[in-house]
Amino acid sequence: MRTGMLTSTERLARTRIRVSRGDGLARCSVRSAVTLSDPTAASIRPMLVDHSRTGARVSLVPEGALLLAGDAIEIDVAVDAGARLDLIEPGGTVAFDMRGASASWSVLITLGPGATLTWAGEPFVVSAGGDVQRRTVARLAGGARLHLRESLVLGRYGELPGTVRQRTEVSVDRNPVLVEDLPLDPTTTPALLGGHRVVSSVLAVGGDGPADGPAEDRYDLDGGGTLWRRLGVHAHEAGLTAAWGAGS
Amino acid sequence: MPHPELLMLMLADARLPVAGHTQSGTLEGALANGLDPADVPAYLRSRLWGAIRVEAGTAVAARHAARGGADLAGVDRAWAARTVSPALRDAARLQGQALLRLAVRVWPGAVGALEVVTRPSRSTVLGTLAGHLDIGAASLARLVAYDDVQTVCAAALKLVPLDPVVVTGWVHDALDHVDDVVRAVADVQTPDEIPAVASPQIEAWAQAHAGSSRRLFRA
Repeated sequence: MRTGMLTSTERLARTRIRVSRGDGLARCSVRSAVTLSDPTAASIRPMLVDHSRTGARVSLVPEGALLLAGDAIEIDVAVDAGARLDLIEPGGTVAFDMRGASASWSVLITLGPGATLTWAGEPFVVSAGGDVQRRTVARLAGGARLHLRESLVLGRYGELPGTVRQRTEVSVDRNPVLVEDLPLDPTTTPALLGGHRVVSSVLAVGGDGPADGPAEDRYDLDGGGTLWRRLGVHAHEAGLTAAWGAGS
Repeated sequence: MPHPELLMLMLADARLPVAGHTQSGTLEGALANGLDPADVPAYLRSRLWGAIRVEAGTAVAARHAARGGADLAGVDRAWAARTVSPALRDAARLQGQALLRLAVRVWPGAVGALEVVTRPSRSTVLGTLAGHLDIGAASLARLVAYDDVQTVCAAALKLVPLDPVVVTGWVHDALDHVDDVVRAVADVQTPDEIPAVASPQIEAWAQAHAGSSRRLFRA
């Protein structure tokens, strides 16, 4: 279990983004900060793409080579009451061979009442020899809406899976809606993914009941919201375009 | 109260009228969607790696809550948040109902604590019963995992022409992995400690099976 303690070989890069509604006709406020444990740490830079009264669009741009042994990426996203943030990524991320070491990628999402976050994640590829702790925690207030797209690829073309332990925890008003661990490595991946190497998902939480969207690959969650998940051999097979389009 | 070992045998017995014969542990959906019958032993291990840790952990957490007077609804909510497939939730709740019906008659003192839970899952009911019957946490986890192995293997014999002696060998070979599950969950106490290992392939097969009109097993 990751404790948040910084080991001597870790390079921590923390990215914070906070969006709040403006007063009256003013544009919403978008505050962001990147802090590094040392100047060589690779990081995720938030670039403001678009900006209106109620919301903002921000691109998460990698700065430096990602993701290497010892990298500890933390992304802390807060959207305050009634505001909207759309996050996009310019490209996918590759976790490279770490030769016995590891890296971490940790996301904390906090959504206020009536806030909306959409996050169009691009493929996260774990190369053979890569070892990543990936954690997404999302805490929603009542009436908040989260629309999250993810795609996890175990190994580049023609290579064995790397190792990734992906933890997802989503709660609404402190009640768990989705709690899920995917402990994938060269041994467990064939068993848990049935011989596939790509698992893609679209998660829609918020609103009163199941989300709008296609019937295929659909898992309506017990605590409200819907997960679409598809297994594939190639990244494009597991695209879930309709499910993503329905909510964003 | 009878000896806990006798009660364990009773709860593990396929003749217990809790509709166990309607369950295949998603094996029917798996075979219909491409699982090779020769891979049933690997399938057993996949289940013990994934979904069964959630079930066994839920049962152990329910046992702890029942004995300590804590909230069983919170345990059942934690299970539901860890079980993304509506088909699997539905199957587990129907089995919970069948077990509850039996308990109301045989162990009426055990079921009061479950009144706060709407449609409790089988693991929540079983864990509550275990708490009442003095069955230990490790024994309970063993029961949940063992029952799953036997469920899948019994279903395999109905779905595929196999020699029962060979299949019983598969059960025996899975027992070491049953012990791994016990080690992983025996110390669970609170709902947030319940393992949350996803089984995306089995969940996909479970959903496909629920939508199929030709089936021998409910789930």
